Amino acid sequence: MSLVAEPVPSPSHRRGIDRLVDALSGSARTSLLMVGAVALALATTACLILLAGTNPITAYGALVRGAFGSLDRVIFGINKATPYILAGAGVALCFRAKVINIGAEGQIAVGGIGATFIALNAALLPVVLVVPLSLAAGALCGAIWAGLAAIVHLKRGVHEVLCTLLLNFVGVLLVSEVLHGDMGEPGAGFPQSPLIARVARLPKLISGTDLHIGILLAVVVVVALHVLFWRTTFGFRLRIMGESRSAADYVGLSVPRATMRVMLLAGGLAGLAGGIEVLGVHLRLIEGFSAGFGFNAVAVALLASLNPLAVLPAGLFLGFLEAGALAMQREVGVPSSLVFVIQGLTMIFVLCAIGIGGAERKV
Amino acid sequence: MEIGTLIDVLTATIRIATPLLFAALGGLLSERAGTFAVGVEGMMLAGAFGGAVAALMSGNVLIGFLVAPMAGALLGLVVGIATARFRADQMVAGLAINILSLGLTSFLLRGLFGGRAPVIRLTIPPVVPVPWLSDIPLLGPVLFRHPLVIYAAFLLVIPVWIFLMKTRGGLILRAVGENPEAAHAAGSNPILVRIAAIAGGGALAGLGGATLALQEVGTFTDGMTNGRGFIALAAIIVGRWTPVGAMLGCLLFGAVAALELRIQGLGLPVSSYVIQMVPYLLALALLAGVGRSARMPAAIGAPFQKH
Repeated sequence: MSLVAEPVPSPSHRRGIDRLVDALSGSARTSLLMVGAVALALATTACLILLAGTNPITAYGALVRGAFGSLDRVIFGINKATPYILAGAGVALCFRAKVINIGAEGQIAVGGIGATFIALNAALLPVVLVVPLSLAAGALCGAIWAGLAAIVHLKRGVHEVLCTLLLNFVGVLLVSEVLHGDMGEPGAGFPQSPLIARVARLPKLISGTDLHIGILLAVVVVVALHVLFWRTTFGFRLRIMGESRSAADYVGLSVPRATMRVMLLAGGLAGLAGGIEVLGVHLRLIEGFSAGFGFNAVAVALLASLNPLAVLPAGLFLGFLEAGALAMQREVGVPSSLVFVIQGLTMIFVLCAIGIGGAERKV
Repeated sequence: MEIGTLIDVLTATIRIATPLLFAALGGLLSERAGTFAVGVEGMMLAGAFGGAVAALMSGNVLIGFLVAPMAGALLGLVVGIATARFRADQMVAGLAINILSLGLTSFLLRGLFGGRAPVIRLTIPPVVPVPWLSDIPLLGPVLFRHPLVIYAAFLLVIPVWIFLMKTRGGLILRAVGENPEAAHAAGSNPILVRIAAIAGGGALAGLGGATLALQEVGTFTDGMTNGRGFIALAAIIVGRWTPVGAMLGCLLFGAVAALELRIQGLGLPVSSYVIQMVPYLLALALLAGVGRSARMPAAIGAPFQKH
């Protein structure tokens, strides 16, 4: 398991692409590699679009228009990006500590359940507290879900990828379960909860539009994580852990405790993302609302090269890509499942770039 | 339980375990060579798609079963080159290939057949009873009245075991998974061995997908593997990285799924969603039970680098 590659031997031993990558240096190299990976993915996908009988320029033109064509489109993209940013930031911190948490999907799902539960009982609470408490409940549920995976991992030595992954399936099914039970809207044709009360919805950032305060929360959280990661002992511990488990042991750092904390943090952020999705976008809990979010969170974290602050542009990129692809499907009939192709290819290229580049990071 | 019900459940167990078994044997090759097989889900899906499309276009299910392993191997090749040659992180590369496979199959399905959500319908190959053996009471109907591909899956455990444990190729593969540096010093190329093992594993996973599409369901739908690749992964671990162990693991998960169908049919006061959670929770519980006592291939997860 190494997201951060081993120290690279002297360039004279390396050939071809390896040497090309070695010629670049530092953060310029990292950014260039990421842009290169995305460009390569878009180019490969263009070939597929061509094969499907559509002009890729037309298709990508529709995608860009769909993402940025009007204020409403931009807002749609930003709202889409918000949960990716929050969950992605948590995943980035986990990966940085070499704790491979791929459970954001389940954590978002149960976060949505928690937030919905409080929001549906809004009448029992003071008005000012409804939204904060709902979001807090979401974060708490997400943290519990991640904590469960962490316990099984730490106590029983099961690889965290499997724990978090298996709990994804359970978390997503749990949403269906509660919607067919107490939280479901009776008589609705679709598994969903009743609409939540107005006081429980996220306030709008620009009135008259769909832009809710979620993105603002995401920015605040990301900045806070940046400070946490680079300026606190906890962040320092995560960085040491990520560099070398033996070094962490040597300096007397409790790896299990730090693992638990970073998992709880990431789960909390994912749960918050779930709450924001419910209170800001759907205004109700919907079956399958978190489908694919966990993977997107991993993609965002990787595109940001596991840097808390860089999660912001990476998340927005993915949000706009999806928003644009949906529009592309409507306009030129190119299936929006191409987004998965672009995402998958981008990630493979990014991973190869990290692997070849052996991206050295400062601790 | 009545005898008829018992036979039904056991037969269903074997039927459901078959796609898992192909995927688990494929994943086993990859993991024994030192690469986490997180991508088997995507390779299964690619196999299901390739198999279904080939069968539909040629009108011959056999062609489907021939094309499916190629589709799986192709994705395996991508994972192999990315992880072994370019040292991409194995877990995340596996996840990426899963999403790529989901996107590609869904895109190509629409590209090939148009419309919004086309469905491929196929004729499911018939049951081929084994003469004489299928007449044995209880055992006969459970073990010897299946379509050919199911016999093939279970018989495959033997050659995979022989290959891994008794041949030079298997020895090299295992050596690469345990200590690639030593294998390299002994004259083999760990990077090529890993790529070959993952591609070969992908071919088997592709067969698993084809079994699902062509034998069990008779159609291809988006994301139809639906987590089965991950259950196969859990079966590998529960089976402690051995072919026979993986087979038993697959049978166990097959049995749970078979009972799940039964319980839903009985109309018990347990919701179907809770029942659907059982395989995942069981996998988690089993993994927690196996816990630290399981020894995974020593070099798994670590990229090999020539010095």
